[in-house]
Amino acid sequence: MQLQQLDPILMRVQKPARYTGGELNSVTKDKNSVFMRFAFCFPDTYEIGMSHLGMKILYSLLNYREDTWCERVFAPWVDFEEEMKKENIPLYGLESFDPLYEFDIIGFTLQYELSYTNILNMLKLGGVPVLASERHDLKNLVIAGGPCACNPEPLVDFIDLFMLGEGEESMNELMDLYRDCKAANESKASFLQKAAQIGGIYVPSLYEVTYNEDGTVAQITPKDGAPKTVKKRIIRDFDKVFYPENFIVPFMGTVHDRAVVEVLRGCIRGCRFCQAGFLYRPLREKKPDTICAECRDLCESTGYEEVSLSSLSTSDYSDMESLLTQLFDYTQTRHINMTLPSLRIDNFSEELLEKIKAVRKSGLTFAPEAGTQRMRDVINKNISEEDVMHSCRLAFEGGYSSVKLYFMIGLPTETEEDIRGIIELAQRVVDLYYHTENRAKGQSVNVTVSVSTFVPKPFTPFQYEPQDTFAQIEEKHRILKDAVTSKKISLKYHHSDASVLEAVFARGDRRLAQVIYKAFLKGCTFDSWDDQFHYDRWMETFKECGLDPAFYANRRRSFDEILPWSHLDYCVSEAFLQRENKKAHEAAVTKNCRMQCAGCGANTLVGGKCFD
Amino acid sequence: MIDIRVFYHKTGRARYISHLDMMRCMQRAIVRAKLPVWYTEGFNPHIYLTFALPLSLGYESKSEVMDLRLIDDAFPLSEVTSRLNDALPPDIRIHTTAKIQNKPQAITHAIYTIQLFGNTQSAEVLRDRFCAFMRSTQILVEKRAKQGRRKITKQIDIRPMCELLSCEVSGDVVLLTLKTQAGIQSNLNPSLLLEAFIQTNEGLPLRWHICRDALLMEDGSPFC
Repeated sequence: MQLQQLDPILMRVQKPARYTGGELNSVTKDKNSVFMRFAFCFPDTYEIGMSHLGMKILYSLLNYREDTWCERVFAPWVDFEEEMKKENIPLYGLESFDPLYEFDIIGFTLQYELSYTNILNMLKLGGVPVLASERHDLKNLVIAGGPCACNPEPLVDFIDLFMLGEGEESMNELMDLYRDCKAANESKASFLQKAAQIGGIYVPSLYEVTYNEDGTVAQITPKDGAPKTVKKRIIRDFDKVFYPENFIVPFMGTVHDRAVVEVLRGCIRGCRFCQAGFLYRPLREKKPDTICAECRDLCESTGYEEVSLSSLSTSDYSDMESLLTQLFDYTQTRHINMTLPSLRIDNFSEELLEKIKAVRKSGLTFAPEAGTQRMRDVINKNISEEDVMHSCRLAFEGGYSSVKLYFMIGLPTETEEDIRGIIELAQRVVDLYYHTENRAKGQSVNVTVSVSTFVPKPFTPFQYEPQDTFAQIEEKHRILKDAVTSKKISLKYHHSDASVLEAVFARGDRRLAQVIYKAFLKGCTFDSWDDQFHYDRWMETFKECGLDPAFYANRRRSFDEILPWSHLDYCVSEAFLQRENKKAHEAAVTKNCRMQCAGCGANTLVGGKCFD
Repeated sequence: MIDIRVFYHKTGRARYISHLDMMRCMQRAIVRAKLPVWYTEGFNPHIYLTFALPLSLGYESKSEVMDLRLIDDAFPLSEVTSRLNDALPPDIRIHTTAKIQNKPQAITHAIYTIQLFGNTQSAEVLRDRFCAFMRSTQILVEKRAKQGRRKITKQIDIRPMCELLSCEVSGDVVLLTLKTQAGIQSNLNPSLLLEAFIQTNEGLPLRWHICRDALLMEDGSPFC
């Protein structure tokens, strides 16, 4: 396809730059001189997908190969989709404008459960059969990875194989195998059998799942030589991990439009609700010199005016002082702004604040997660109210007059007191402002309380817990609203019917694939977008399929239940998760990994010892 | 310090970069090109850049103009051109860099070439219709405007604001050359004229492709 064919429709849609490609550093190759074509698909809009670091890394890694050309594909927004259908234009790769069905491998990243229907829709718009069973050839192999691949069971009807763990580690092995099988003209079945032998590659069609009468899983049986459990892959030496020298620089504004360097992977904290904190274990860091060099390379190749140090918890970096000192020498003379997302309250220092403020003052957000100390102990957040107050005082003394606080509701063992505690804590922060002597003069304080709904996730100690029902959550929202008496507190929460669906898919089994398929046929896409989400349509589909969302979302699992993802191994043992679950119910905390090993099992991935 | 003017083409995929995004795109290109540019000295220091006349989204242009300020008076201008071209995506091409001679206010007219695609209409019929349309003594269009704070629509006659220089058939396309008033005094966006043309020929299935070829000053010479 040519740009000219798109011209007539581009002028009729919002933000046409989503669909035109051609950005700086995007990679164009001669399609006749590469052996494999890879479509990296992000199942959401351009501006969200282009903010995703994983895509940048794998795009660069794949295009580094001479035999491969990797392109990007995003979900077209509904206006463009309508025009595509009208003009008979298939979904295409942004670099070549070639339709999706021309690609050898179509890879999706699974960042959130509510993007699942978009995967089906993108395949269909790209002229690729949605059901894996209807794709008979090796061409159009559909693969997926990312955090949701830890329980990919609801997607097994659509995806041929999943990559567990860190893609930089296994991608090249998979590509080499594909190259060999394509060259030898091997069948898809033969390729999949061989792929299942690569560490971290999960081929769902090689596993048979049976169910008990009560709907729980009875047995998961591998066949054709597939391993009994599939273990995630990780980069052992994170300091040497492949990192792109340049990023594509979008023309239009994206959610995160800046250079990003990952300073560490994994997290030492063990917050019991946090899936990422367990999935990405163990903690591995890059050296300050490596981080600085990567920052410099990226800033120079992109021209970005902002660089962000990214990780699950950046302030846990072991050598923050020397890293920041080194980096500021570079960024300040070049008018580059530096952002440090994900700082923890308990190690947020005055010096750090000074450095954040040095270039450009942005907003400050803290995440106490829960309103009472008991609740914070249940989730093992390991911060105290003094930590919160200390950070807020530093912020106010530093000239800030507004802070944002993140909380969750619907946590295990939560009571009304815990809910009210959220607003009470916010009120104490408001009071603190007026007791801070050297606050900004003549300004009123604003404390934004942002509340989200807890969703229990696989591979966390809360994987056994029921989610609150929709009615319970509504009631808790009401309690929150009633508790706010000050105009200085702005309460923000989300209508949470979508989080029910998120909970269902997060811990779902294979039988949910038919629900996703049918809901998609009914026109469900972009479920994470409020204006596109159709709760009723989904509930109607569950009924038609004879499945009860409450079975997945609101049911407590016993410790001996076979969970749908029990054949997937993220190297955190069930025994550990159960231990942590029990401690949560006793409101007992667990120390962070640096202070004391809790024996989760992830140390086996790095040869027995996570820290020197 | 020296103010310089960069002339560039914006074609192909770059047509869909909006004016605001273009500012950002150029700032980043300038950083990548390591040009010795001057930064504003306010609260949020940024590269000082101005564009003579913003281009509508979707238009191609062979007459884009951007002014910037260098801190090194002796910096060779040809170096600006070549370094920026190395740093820009292929659909944005700098062709000349020069010292500033006139202020952007000196722009009075623009020349556009417009391709009209008539779909089912034959190009000959389309050409005749358009020529007939341009023979009207008055072309009234609704234009949104502000009266104080209130938003109003007012009717204006755009016929005196434009002049059809040529109108011919090329294959199944009609090619127009149009001279319009442009700049801060009075500015006519050619799509306004084309929409009025559709309105007088109800239901006409028409597509177009617009390229801004030149910016002119009062005496008819190219803006520089």
